[in-house]
Amino acid sequence: MRPEIQEYPFDWMLHKSMHIAFDSLKGSKKEYQYMLNYMPYFKGLMDLLGKYDEPGILFVDMVKDAVDDIMFAHDQGKKICMTTFCFSPIVLFAMDVVPVVMEPLTVLPTILWKRGTYDFMNFCIEAGLSETSCSSQRGALGAYLAGLCEPIDFILFDSGGVCDTNANVFAFSASYLNKPIFQLDYPASFLDKKTREYQRKDFRELISFLESQTGKKLDYDRLRNGLEETHKQDLIISQIDEYQMLKPNPMPPIFNLFMYAGRFLATSKPGYTKLLESMLRTVKNNADQGKSGLQSGKEKCRALFCYIDHYSSDARMWNFLDDNGVSHLGSILSRFFPDHAPYLQDEDINSGYHIQLNSLDDMIDSLTEINARSPMVKSIRGPYDTPYMWLEDALSFARLYQADCIVYSGTPGCRNTWGMVKPFARDTEKQGFPTHIMYSDAFDERVESFETTSLRLAEFFRVRQLI
Amino acid sequence: MDLIKQAAFELQNESISAWKKNNNSVVGYTCSQVPLELFYAGGILPVRLRGVGIQGLDIADAYYGPFICSFPKAILQSMAEKKLKHLDGAVIADGCDSMRRLDECWRRASNDYPHMDLPFFHYMNIPRKISDHARDWFIDEIQQLQTALNSYFNVSITLEDIQKAITIYNKSRELIAKIENLRKFNPPKISGSDAFCVSLAAESMVPETFQQQATALYDHFLHHPAEIADGPRILISGSAYDDIHLIQTIEASGANVVGENVCFGPSHRINLVSEEQPPLEALMEHYLLSCPCPRMFGRFDYRMALLKETIRNVQAKGVVLQNIRFCDLHASENGLLERKLEKEGIPCIRLEREYGSQTDTGRLRMRMDAFLERIS
Repeated sequence: MRPEIQEYPFDWMLHKSMHIAFDSLKGSKKEYQYMLNYMPYFKGLMDLLGKYDEPGILFVDMVKDAVDDIMFAHDQGKKICMTTFCFSPIVLFAMDVVPVVMEPLTVLPTILWKRGTYDFMNFCIEAGLSETSCSSQRGALGAYLAGLCEPIDFILFDSGGVCDTNANVFAFSASYLNKPIFQLDYPASFLDKKTREYQRKDFRELISFLESQTGKKLDYDRLRNGLEETHKQDLIISQIDEYQMLKPNPMPPIFNLFMYAGRFLATSKPGYTKLLESMLRTVKNNADQGKSGLQSGKEKCRALFCYIDHYSSDARMWNFLDDNGVSHLGSILSRFFPDHAPYLQDEDINSGYHIQLNSLDDMIDSLTEINARSPMVKSIRGPYDTPYMWLEDALSFARLYQADCIVYSGTPGCRNTWGMVKPFARDTEKQGFPTHIMYSDAFDERVESFETTSLRLAEFFRVRQLI
Repeated sequence: MDLIKQAAFELQNESISAWKKNNNSVVGYTCSQVPLELFYAGGILPVRLRGVGIQGLDIADAYYGPFICSFPKAILQSMAEKKLKHLDGAVIADGCDSMRRLDECWRRASNDYPHMDLPFFHYMNIPRKISDHARDWFIDEIQQLQTALNSYFNVSITLEDIQKAITIYNKSRELIAKIENLRKFNPPKISGSDAFCVSLAAESMVPETFQQQATALYDHFLHHPAEIADGPRILISGSAYDDIHLIQTIEASGANVVGENVCFGPSHRINLVSEEQPPLEALMEHYLLSCPCPRMFGRFDYRMALLKETIRNVQAKGVVLQNIRFCDLHASENGLLERKLEKEGIPCIRLEREYGSQTDTGRLRMRMDAFLERIS
């Protein structure tokens, strides 16, 4: 890694960036316009956030708080846990543990900084990780491996059985950094009794691990409060989900990012509830007026992102969709499967989780069930064409949300989906949904420039007569 | 030796043909964690699925995406090219993400290539951690496989049958261990490529036939050692690897390959399955708890210790840490191993390659020559 990069702690840079973004957005219109002159590389992103006033500001505020928590965790006597986006952090917050979630911490600098996270991604290779491993973790991980952040205390991941490249990154980090590690392991099956029992026992071992690492018992009241707040958040998300089914879709494309970033960084935290309430107001307001959430107000095409989004520098993908009249119907990242979710009314998708608060045991079971339905954990743990898995989910969403097309965006590191995305796309095409496979890397534009990615996507929309 | 070489170099061999001639069944399996004793207990021959001898991946690439390990692709291609016609069934285990997606790609390809549609097709789900519930899960998976075999092949596998099969396969393991001991001499009494053929053949032959052949081979090399010059002693470790040409390439550079720490190799083969424990427990202990594959997350220290023990046993002077491209599990583990082994004074070289013989011999030869210069 270049010496000048090593001069600045990664989390400190992120902390400063978020504070500057927050202060700029909070300023007067004139101040904000003036500040844009000093942000040549992420003007587009700032504009995107600024467009939606309150939700944009609340989003930045929520992320800023999450980064601050990492920066000052040790000063406040809290432990720091390196983890992954598909692990629900509710139990960590309940135990006063601060999560360092690799994927969102890769996304933020990728869309915010001129050089994205290239230097940190590269350092992972220097440390010994394969360059074919998933870039979604490598962006932030490089900084942690290089010692450019507040050090972590232990590692927790839940991608064993779900995604090897994800799990492998955390196993590698534990050996490299010499930190304690715990994994939740998921069978390929989903709802049967044997699988649920396996997950139940696994999650209880996780609680014991956390108690041994923190030296504290799981606090019943804090967990209860956390789950109550999560339930409140889930109800709002369900309402937003339902609005997304309307034609035109009243939800702005970037709100998908707000929704899942909050889920990964701040589930059960009041800041996320405030953000969701504000998003709901905007969406409802649009819906009441019969307006699309797109800036133009004109929805030409409805696209379901069947996997993840594309995090180009300056967040250009969302602006691209907005400019082209393409409405974003969500991705695997923005569906969490609570039992009241509107998409669970479709008979193809089985029942979701139910938050129970009667006893500590019930609450731990609830956490187990929430986690078993996390993005990726639920839908790609088993063969893609078996019940409750990826194909069934994607087709159900496509039908319910009246999608005109399906778009696959991922990373070359995703062995799991690249192992079957071609037959998957053939199946979705057969069901009448034009499907586009993006060969870019959602987190690393060196693999394919955004110009090429967007040209190919535009060509798909044009050739298939979608816009 | 001819039969052993045939079994090592080709997908079909005389041992399998003779077995099939007697109307016996053959089932292919994808991963070293699948308990092969279970099949043999039911009178079914288990054969490890491989993809040697194919000329391209055009069919496999129509189902798999581009960023996928070429090993499962080669198996799919072999099947599509009718090179695995002896199979009556297949068991796909979720050894890694690339391999587990062979399940879907194979099933989808069967629509386009009907001969691929095998009447017995089973998916085996193996935990990636060790815990009490993971042990129970694995035993349950064995029982599910047992039920499926009973039902489709109309057999009735008993615990006694499994116990007998354990004894039979242990005999093969003991023979492999004896042949491996011939490599410990300096210079070795058997070449690396000949010894590795034995490990490969053990997974592609009827065990009794294999044992006859391996016994004769052992006696031969014990009394008539191969003429091998002194050279740096090399251990190969890493991704699944059944390519004798790589060993030949290394040996042609003047080194002696004295061991393989790969899932086709002796390190996964010579440990005996306990004959004292109840058979299902014994299989679980062998195939789950002792598994040295990085798919078992959080067990790096265990694998590191095993590797160091193997290095000591075979007196290796250098280690080739190889991986198939897109095999992140081994590629990343190799990064850690290289760092730690080099720190302890054990020279290492990391090689990335594609599955399939001689896909990039020239490049590998050049890199090996440079490595041997360093350690000679």
